[in-house]
Amino acid sequence: MQFVISLVLVLAAASVAGAGPLDHPGAMKALNCSACHGFAGQSIADTMPSLAGVWPEYFKKAIADYASGKRPSTEMEPYAKQVMQFGVDDYAAYFGSLKREPAKMPVDGAAAGRGRAAAVQCAGCHGPEGQGDRAKLVPALAGQPPGYLKSQMTLFKQDRRSPGDANLKALKAMMQGLPDSTIEDLAAYYSSLR
Amino acid sequence: MRGMGRREFLRTSGVGLGVGLLGGGCATAMKGDFAPKTSRRVVVVGGGWGGATAAKYVRLGDPAIEVILLEPNRQFVSCPFSNLVLSGVRTLDSITFDYASLRRHGVRLIHEAASAVDPAARRVRVGEGYLEYDRVVVAPGVEFQWEQVEGLAQNQDKVLHAWKAGPQTQALAEQIRAMPDGGVFVLTIPPAAYRCPPGPYERACQVAWYLKQSKPRSKLVILDANQNIISKTALFRAAWREYPNIDYRASNKVVKVDPGAREVTTDFGDKVKYDVVNLIPPQRAGTIAVQADLVGADKRWCEVNHVTFESVKAPNVHVVGDSTIGLPVPKSGNVANAMGKVAAMAIVHQLNGKQPPELAPGNTCYSWVNDREAIAVVNTYRIENGKVVQIEQKLTPGQSIAVAQNSLGWARSIWNDVIG
Repeated sequence: MQFVISLVLVLAAASVAGAGPLDHPGAMKALNCSACHGFAGQSIADTMPSLAGVWPEYFKKAIADYASGKRPSTEMEPYAKQVMQFGVDDYAAYFGSLKREPAKMPVDGAAAGRGRAAAVQCAGCHGPEGQGDRAKLVPALAGQPPGYLKSQMTLFKQDRRSPGDANLKALKAMMQGLPDSTIEDLAAYYSSLR
Repeated sequence: MRGMGRREFLRTSGVGLGVGLLGGGCATAMKGDFAPKTSRRVVVVGGGWGGATAAKYVRLGDPAIEVILLEPNRQFVSCPFSNLVLSGVRTLDSITFDYASLRRHGVRLIHEAASAVDPAARRVRVGEGYLEYDRVVVAPGVEFQWEQVEGLAQNQDKVLHAWKAGPQTQALAEQIRAMPDGGVFVLTIPPAAYRCPPGPYERACQVAWYLKQSKPRSKLVILDANQNIISKTALFRAAWREYPNIDYRASNKVVKVDPGAREVTTDFGDKVKYDVVNLIPPQRAGTIAVQADLVGADKRWCEVNHVTFESVKAPNVHVVGDSTIGLPVPKSGNVANAMGKVAAMAIVHQLNGKQPPELAPGNTCYSWVNDREAIAVVNTYRIENGKVVQIEQKLTPGQSIAVAQNSLGWARSIWNDVIG
């Protein structure tokens, strides 16, 4: 108890305005994000990715691609431009400092099982546990909402995410070989990983 | 205290307000200063998208600030998605929530209406008593200008607006169901500015879709006081190509309604017969904003500082949401939510003697054009020389199921952001 009180006092002294969860320099700037991506980047919606725990360099690349229109999105292009205006480094550092809680959306266990088998072809880049490869900016998939994973795989399959990007050619070719049902299975599997 | 949350501690120890007030209001106790201030205090008047968000985020920004939210309704009914109740695509229940989660953040809820704000005394009047504040957030939404349409004020029970989601939404849905096939539904749109610019046009889609499915001989007549569809114009025009049952008449302002004759009259003197009418009245800021003299010379809307959302007319009073004017933003739920956060951050800084940060809102706005497809407009903003200016507006290229799926994600997230 003594320790808890001391800790509270230290936090109170260190913060702008008391011990709140918005004390990180990027936290206030990122408040617009929570309307869709959840408070502190923890998504509660099937179609919205969690931003908590996204590596700062990957976050910055995604924002730059959205802002330039390379990664087309009606929703994200204006917000990415806003993030650039207000300083992407603060947002990136903030979300990068947070630990991602796995998605709470229920997934079909049988689908996740089938997805596990199908994921062998993804593991080379995204890692055996969907943890990604930070050095190569290959994103972590584990624990993202299934609806988001499914929509992104579908966009790759249709060449509507970053169309024309040479680095994604092999990935898109692979996606084009997958039936939609397998994409659903993969989404269930990666979302179920912790 | 092991295992006991902060709220339970406050409740059992009787700190601050009485148990009756924490429990949600106690009219007989509200005399004089019925809840004396124990620390710096923010009172929020109105628990809609702007007010509830502001209340929650002041607590998140500085848990040492006491926050009291005054909201007469015990349930929060979302205006976004309420048009889908009219078509039967959603139920009213699916867009109705309670306020209980706000208590987890230490917001003290009183389900009573504030009757007056006194900026000179820094008091909000409630019942026969009052609450003192350091800063107040006024978020009353819109009030209808009944007097602008002859015959409307005395027929509010028959001529429905359904422009504040709740019982009127359900009642209008039932009127549509009961209308005979071959009947005429008249939807009237007031002159801008009003709450939710694309809302009437989304409503037209939902009603036309329902009529097309269920009453194919029926017609939807839209009498729009504006010169054209004022939001997502090309996208709505494209969607309406599927609805030959729509008869859209621009620059037709309704000035009179006669429920006996089942007839509305436009400012040109044209009379239009209806079987069901949905008359969306002209609007102004909520009554308490007028009472507190926060409105401008037009007596309709409240001008505010773009960074802090302080009223330009009264100190220590912030106004957020649909009541505001002067920013290049629509009167939308998403904007109200964003304003609530910006105002909350300003208040937290001001109450701690700090310079408020320069933050700006964003707006993501979906409209459903049938039972499964939606369109969207997205706006973002920055601050330039102390004023909100738009960075960009972007529209979806067309209507799609994918946009509708995104809208469901948006709704789930933002409802949680406002009252979760």
